[in-house]
Amino acid sequence: MPLISVQDLTHRYPGGVTALDGLSLELEPGIIGFVGANGAGKSTFIKILLGLLTPTRGTVRVLERDAIAESLAVRQLVGSMPEHDCLPPQLTATDLVSHMGRLAGLPRAAARERTAEMLRHVGLYEERYRAIGGYSTGMKQRVKLAQSLVHDPRLLLLDEPTNGLDPAGREEMLELVRRTGQEFGIAVMVCSHLLGEIERVSDFLVAIDGGRLKSAAPLGSFTGEQALLAVEVDEGSGALVARLAAAGLDAVEDGDLVVVPLLDERPYDLVRDAAADLGLALVRMERRRHTLQELFRAPAGAHTTEGAHGTRA
Amino acid sequence: MSVETLNPPAPAATPAQGPARGAAVELRNVSHWYGNVVAVNDVSFSLGPGITGLLGPNGAGKSTLLHMLAGFLAPSAGEVLVDGRPAWKNPQMYRSLGLVPEREAVYPYLTGYEFALMNARLHGLPDPEGAAERAIDVVDLRAAMHRRIGGYSKGMRQRAKIAGALVHEPRILLLDEPFNGMDPGQRMHMMELLRGLAEQGKTILISSHILEELHHLANNVLVVVAGRLAASGHFREIRRLMTDRPHTFTLRSSDDRRLAAALMAHGSVQGVELGAAGITVRTAERGGFAAYLPRAAREAGITLLEVRPTDESLESVFSYLVKR
Repeated sequence: MPLISVQDLTHRYPGGVTALDGLSLELEPGIIGFVGANGAGKSTFIKILLGLLTPTRGTVRVLERDAIAESLAVRQLVGSMPEHDCLPPQLTATDLVSHMGRLAGLPRAAARERTAEMLRHVGLYEERYRAIGGYSTGMKQRVKLAQSLVHDPRLLLLDEPTNGLDPAGREEMLELVRRTGQEFGIAVMVCSHLLGEIERVSDFLVAIDGGRLKSAAPLGSFTGEQALLAVEVDEGSGALVARLAAAGLDAVEDGDLVVVPLLDERPYDLVRDAAADLGLALVRMERRRHTLQELFRAPAGAHTTEGAHGTRA
Repeated sequence: MSVETLNPPAPAATPAQGPARGAAVELRNVSHWYGNVVAVNDVSFSLGPGITGLLGPNGAGKSTLLHMLAGFLAPSAGEVLVDGRPAWKNPQMYRSLGLVPEREAVYPYLTGYEFALMNARLHGLPDPEGAAERAIDVVDLRAAMHRRIGGYSKGMRQRAKIAGALVHEPRILLLDEPFNGMDPGQRMHMMELLRGLAEQGKTILISSHILEELHHLANNVLVVVAGRLAASGHFREIRRLMTDRPHTFTLRSSDDRRLAAALMAHGSVQGVELGAAGITVRTAERGGFAAYLPRAAREAGITLLEVRPTDESLESVFSYLVKR
């Protein structure tokens, strides 16, 4: 059963801005990274998925349910962690999360039990009985995640889950996202501008641009190996390049690295021998990989029109 | 730990300065406390041209440091010097310093050009229109300069803020989380912009939580932990000075088992682990081991397929500093 199935989804806001433009997409369960430029249509897509917005045209099905006609049923299946600060400061985490559980239709006792479990899962313990207003950003993000899980959804939508977190907080949140996906066996869709994070947690990537699908494929297909060997030596990059040139390799310096074309297997041993002969410390030698960044690398000069999405037809 | 020795001014850690002119920014034994809360505790460093990253967990004192540098807060003790003169109660300093705050400090009803022009006039520049246009060009906003900032994307708004901070061509630029809310394309564009400014000799200090981005942008970092300067300098140098932590490498080769045996013979190697994905080596002596590795592999007739240092990233250096 497909997780999400989207057909010809189009949304035009009053005023003429086209946020989604004939988007079609079929997704299987897993941890899915969802990326796109600001204004590409990500937020609109999420709102439609949650049944908060009726699209101008097209259909969205979540686990075989129609997101528009059966929006209540879909919301039972979907948990959502919004990007903005949406928590009432005067409530405690326990009160808020169990209230959300009750709203999703859980009986009082079940809501209380699920709340305790989910708050423990996200790593909130004694603090859960204190008012949210006094929480740190990291704790607030955890509460947002807990409330999205309380009704045992099949799909989790996380919008910029590491926003405002410091490096340790980001690391913990990413680990939590990964664990949530794997331990509970639920599908997770993560929206983020930080491609490094997407690369770390997701196994499938969806990129949209200008309201259309740009690509949808397993993550590995975006980060494949290139036919280049990146080599780093402590001192003497220049000597290494000269040595490799003498052996017929067209190596070039690139910052701290020496990049060697890898047309056959020969460069591996040539680099090893050059480093050994020259007495260089061989600190790094690895195949260069494609990066998600390449998806966003605009052709030269194109960025001057960036942000003009409001007028995109 | 030896990193502590870097702590006082750390001349080796900052780019070379001309002898005639002091560092653009210098802190001497600076502390700041809010009542009983010590936010910054005896911090000393100096900055020269180029990009420096200001890192630290939330609440470490980064914003307090930036605010003292920008002249918004007086140090409770010590000296904060910009161009050799105190930053506090010295409006003249703003002639050579620009600040890009984290908050949305722009007026939505102004156009990008008007915002830059306003700043140019506030500085009393002789040709405010010309200066505003130049700043708009630097941040590459010419196509949108006559549109209202309220209709800009986050990336464009961020660039408008930078134009406002650059309009008087300051030598020093302070940026607080400049990448917040930007999408990947906007981030890359902003990085190019900052790199270009650094090449022109500007002194740039950027606070950020996104280490993998700073990694590509700033080789020199200041790491603040609990109000103290935990380390400063090139992050790889910082890593090398942490002599109490073994360096780890992961290796793949044509014959992992024999290579593992050969490496074990080197005196600096503290442990070798043979796994399905290759070998993990822990060594006390990074350089010595890395020089031994190609020789040992060649002698044993083994082809090295991959050599990766696993804890040399800015992220791992940062987490060592924060956790210790």
